[in-house]
Amino acid sequence: MASYNLDVYMPVLILMALACITVFGALFIGMFLRPSNPTELKQTPYECGEEPIGSAWSNFNVRFYVVALIFIIFDVESALMFPVASVFKKFVDLGMGGAVLGSFLLFIGILAGGIVYCWKKGDLDWVRSYQVSETVKKED
Amino acid sequence: MFGSTLFIISALLTLGGAFMVVASKNLVHACVFLLASLFGVAGLYATLGADFLAAIQLVVYAGGVVILMLFAIMLTGGSQDLSNKYGLNKIPGMGSVRTYIAGGLSALVISLVVLKILANVIKSAQVGELPEFTTTVEKIGTMLLTDHILAFEISSILLLGALIGAAVISRPRKG
Amino acid sequence: MNSVVSYFSQTEGYQAIVKTLSELLGFDATSLVAFIVFGAVVTIVVTVLATIGGLGTYAERKISADLQMRQGPNRVGPFGILQFLADGVKMILKEDIVPRQADRFLFNISPLLCLLGVFASLAVVPFSSGFTLVNLNVGIIYLLGVASIVGIGIFLGGYSSNSKWSMLGGMRGASQIISYEIPVTLSILAAVVIVGGLSFGAATEAQGGLPHQWLIFHNPFTFIAFFVLFIGSLAEANRAPFDLPEAESELVSGYHTEFTGMKFAFFALAEYIEVFVLCGVASALFLGGYKVPFDLGTGAIFSEKLGLHPMLAKNIGQLLQLGAFFTKALLLYYVVIWIRWTLPRLRVDHLMVLCWKYLTPIALFNLVGVAVWMYAFDGQSFFALIAKMGAAAGGHH
Repeated sequence: MASYNLDVYMPVLILMALACITVFGALFIGMFLRPSNPTELKQTPYECGEEPIGSAWSNFNVRFYVVALIFIIFDVESALMFPVASVFKKFVDLGMGGAVLGSFLLFIGILAGGIVYCWKKGDLDWVRSYQVSETVKKED
Repeated sequence: MFGSTLFIISALLTLGGAFMVVASKNLVHACVFLLASLFGVAGLYATLGADFLAAIQLVVYAGGVVILMLFAIMLTGGSQDLSNKYGLNKIPGMGSVRTYIAGGLSALVISLVVLKILANVIKSAQVGELPEFTTTVEKIGTMLLTDHILAFEISSILLLGALIGAAVISRPRKG
Repeated sequence: MNSVVSYFSQTEGYQAIVKTLSELLGFDATSLVAFIVFGAVVTIVVTVLATIGGLGTYAERKISADLQMRQGPNRVGPFGILQFLADGVKMILKEDIVPRQADRFLFNISPLLCLLGVFASLAVVPFSSGFTLVNLNVGIIYLLGVASIVGIGIFLGGYSSNSKWSMLGGMRGASQIISYEIPVTLSILAAVVIVGGLSFGAATEAQGGLPHQWLIFHNPFTFIAFFVLFIGSLAEANRAPFDLPEAESELVSGYHTEFTGMKFAFFALAEYIEVFVLCGVASALFLGGYKVPFDLGTGAIFSEKLGLHPMLAKNIGQLLQLGAFFTKALLLYYVVIWIRWTLPRLRVDHLMVLCWKYLTPIALFNLVGVAVWMYAFDGQSFFALIAKMGAAAGGHH
């Protein structure tokens, strides 16, 4: 039975290999079927008919990064919660549900406190609220 | 037999990805090779029977940390610098080519000696066949709730600290 | 362990083949035969799902035409049903333009990453109890993991095009996908608490065939969790009203502006297959998946009442289960298409506010509620409790 152990992952590998084969195969076959006339106009990036000015990356807003940071924290939290959630039922059947529920709620509560903190401090706003108030001050 | 195939593919992916991370000149390319390397590590976990760990590796690392790194590269403008302006030997602190050759050879010799010692140790502790396909998730969950409950709760506080720290760091400076 | 191979290995023919091959080749041929069976089934599954993806484009055009009181494609084939094949042929014949300042390596890799993520997620989708490709013990987490790879593919597609529209579309797409993963994960956790396992097989087996045995009607918290999961899945797949990354009227075509021909076809195919997979996951977790009402799926009734060969009865049961799964998944698919052509697009700050300030707190509240329900009522469903109360009241008479 030990050989069954890892045969489980065969479809995963086969599917990934199939994805690579599909993409490269279709592009390879297409190489013979499709035209190839690179002109100057085709090589420039699309800018609704105008000439693109400057590089593509102007100003990066830190809000994307903040979202990614908060996401990572919650991702790790959910990774820790998955094993606890899957054995929760067993503990309830054994009768120790109260203690497990308590620890589970404590875990979630601490992280809910974190998200409340971020909310109150304005980290979750897409446009920071004091930017708005700063422009108001400038108009004075 | 499939176990060794899976192992070889994962190992090649890990090592190849890691080598390309170091060797590529473009930072974003390095991130993508890091993604391949983390995929390989997940495969290695799967080879060892740690299915939960492999899945979490995919979710947290390949799906989270790599995106975070890509966003960080965007934030710091590392994508603009496409070439390695500093050759390794132009930075005084990095030593010269002779240093690297001597260092590499000595590392090789030391590792051969250490492995010879370790081989005797390993031969005596034979590992048997992998057991039936067991669920590691339930074991981890039970242990998290019984033996390591304190670690479980403290990890939530650790995550809270990380969250607050990240939020504070990414706030714009006043003035 | 459940997989296609373990289902087929119950038949005597399979064992005979393994034995003859082992004698022929000298080593234990179980792995080899498993590989061949997996390979064949994978090809079938991928073909079927690629067809569903293609027909999804056709269905979208027809349904949107219906909603907008016009005809839709009706030239290619009967009722225009072969339109997606014509589109595929057109795409493969288009010139493959790589813009001059695009990052060539990443430009070629990003459609591959999207398709890789979607194909890898097909391995655990529970089509039926026997025909699931492989019922991984950590199937649910695995699916979440490979769905994030699609997000990376979108970001790299936007970045590598090196055009302003694509960059913005890629950034917004990636941040949208990672943000909405949190409510989706929390809703899935709510289902996992009740089911007690992390595999799709366990999640489906914990439900019954009739609607009152589905997880969505288990308690009011899972009811809300289903809708949070559905909305989050819409955002994960970049479907309207969350399709800002490919917003046609704002960002030209977002992250896939610069991709031509077959590469664009791969992005689109990945999106449509991903929508189907997410609908399948939602139906497996909350709507009873492949469970057929009155337990017809196990095939036991056929072998008892009709006296059929047990393997044949099982196969009939499997086909019924396949039918149940596809019916539910395609119904959800229809709802997804319906929503796209009904609701306007969300602005990007509304999108983020919806995720972080509404869906995540609701999902956390659901999780807490489900945990408390599990503890208080021992994991019984709402209808089971009502039945118990009714029985208790009846017993008093």
